[in-house]
Amino acid sequence: MKRRVLRNVGVPLLSIVLLLTIWQLIVVVFHIAPYIAPRPWGAIRAVTTDWSTLWPLVLGTIRETVYGFFVGALLGLSLGVIMAKVKVLQRLVYPVLVLSQAVPIIALAAPLVLILGFSVTPKVVIVAWIVFFPVTVNVLDGLSHVDQDLVNLAKVYGASRWRTFLQIEIPATTTPLFSGLKIGATYAVTGAIIGELAASSGSSLALYQEHANSNLNTAAVYGTTMVMTVIGISWFLLVVGAEVLATPWQRRSVARRQRWRRTPDDRTNVLNPK
Amino acid sequence: MSSNILLRLRNVEKVFGDTVALAPTSLEIAAGSFVAIVGPSGCGKSTLFNVIAGLLQPEQGEVELDGRLINGATGHVGYMLQKDLLVPWRTVEDNITMAARLTRRVTNDDRLEARRVAHQYGLGEFLRHYPSALSGGMRQRVAFMRTLVTHQPLLLLDEPFGALDAQTRLEMQQWLLQVWRETGRTVLFITHDVDESIFLSDRILVMSPRPGRVVADISNPLGRPRTFDSLTDPHFVEVKSQIMRLLHGGDQ
Repeated sequence: MKRRVLRNVGVPLLSIVLLLTIWQLIVVVFHIAPYIAPRPWGAIRAVTTDWSTLWPLVLGTIRETVYGFFVGALLGLSLGVIMAKVKVLQRLVYPVLVLSQAVPIIALAAPLVLILGFSVTPKVVIVAWIVFFPVTVNVLDGLSHVDQDLVNLAKVYGASRWRTFLQIEIPATTTPLFSGLKIGATYAVTGAIIGELAASSGSSLALYQEHANSNLNTAAVYGTTMVMTVIGISWFLLVVGAEVLATPWQRRSVARRQRWRRTPDDRTNVLNPK
Repeated sequence: MSSNILLRLRNVEKVFGDTVALAPTSLEIAAGSFVAIVGPSGCGKSTLFNVIAGLLQPEQGEVELDGRLINGATGHVGYMLQKDLLVPWRTVEDNITMAARLTRRVTNDDRLEARRVAHQYGLGEFLRHYPSALSGGMRQRVAFMRTLVTHQPLLLLDEPFGALDAQTRLEMQQWLLQVWRETGRTVLFITHDVDESIFLSDRILVMSPRPGRVVADISNPLGRPRTFDSLTDPHFVEVKSQIMRLLHGGDQ
């Protein structure tokens, strides 16, 4: 157990520390001026000293990322299911979906601002636009590869199409669904920042960075980039965590607990039914 | 016939395009009997099963279970394939109660029965395990228990032990006979393995391809209970040579 934690948490942390060390070494060894590239510690300090200004902006970016992610995930899942179930729609909609991803997202931002204004909405739309696609593609793929013998077995048992969908097809798609969600999670922050660049009137993390850049405050530019990266990584890790919770059979050979509590042979729960 | 007829097929035919998968076939299967079906690939064994299970609608003829016409209707038989088809995201217990979950709410009675069956047939320790933790033989046993708790009187087993190694297969055959004796179900058992068909059954249907049809209906003279000695019994050898001749032509 201890070894596993060390391997799964310790080693990735070590690689980040290594990266920062290399950065530090390059800056020091090559005498790079701080306005070209700051030292890691300088970048971190630039963020911490101005944290009271940054924090609300960070919260804003997180909100756009999370909202957009959920809208995109839900849309992606629904589209994947509908397209898997209605083959005509699949042929009709698939090219449009591919087209939607071929459009440069930056080019999309300007018209979105015209339509939706400078609110949080255009950012959410951009994030969702990026997130839904890998989810749809993976769910569609997962649903089309459900073992037909298993579906037939359910049919022989007399299962309705709805029950088969809920009990067989959806669970069988969990792994591809999470693959799509993980890809979406890594790109979600990028979408939020693009949205902020194109569609912010007041303050935002992206504009804060632009401002720092024009002031030659390079340490703050790097620091802000680190903050954005941390938001992205955290969101990705949360999705990974959700996958771990949702798919215990991938890692365990024995279920942590069965529904023993709801059975009559378990005394305590006959007296105290849930 | 002295015993009741559970399954009756009258002139059942199944055609795919130009191919007659199953030529008009009539059959009567006695309740509580163990009937093996042998034949090469493409002889219509699985088509026959899929018609009985209701997955395929026959072009003509009648499938009658316990006096009811069940042409193209599902939900009337237990069904098991060579692939165990256990779902990896459910524990052994939840896999056994799968049929209930697919048709209605799983009750406490369902769970208790699943546990009772698992304990009775040697998997009580593994109720909370996921299928990935089990060996091939254990997985097939779970799949069979799942079939058993559907309470269907007729079990269709399509090469259930085909993917197992010889040793495990022998154990599973003994085990299946024990369960069959104790539960009194009617079993239709498809196999490629002539020895297996004789060792298990009361009666053997030999099928042949192009078109798929039953070419022989052999009453198995081998006594019960079956032991390893049954495999060298003169009756066994005699029936085996008869089936081999049917499957591979006269000179073998």
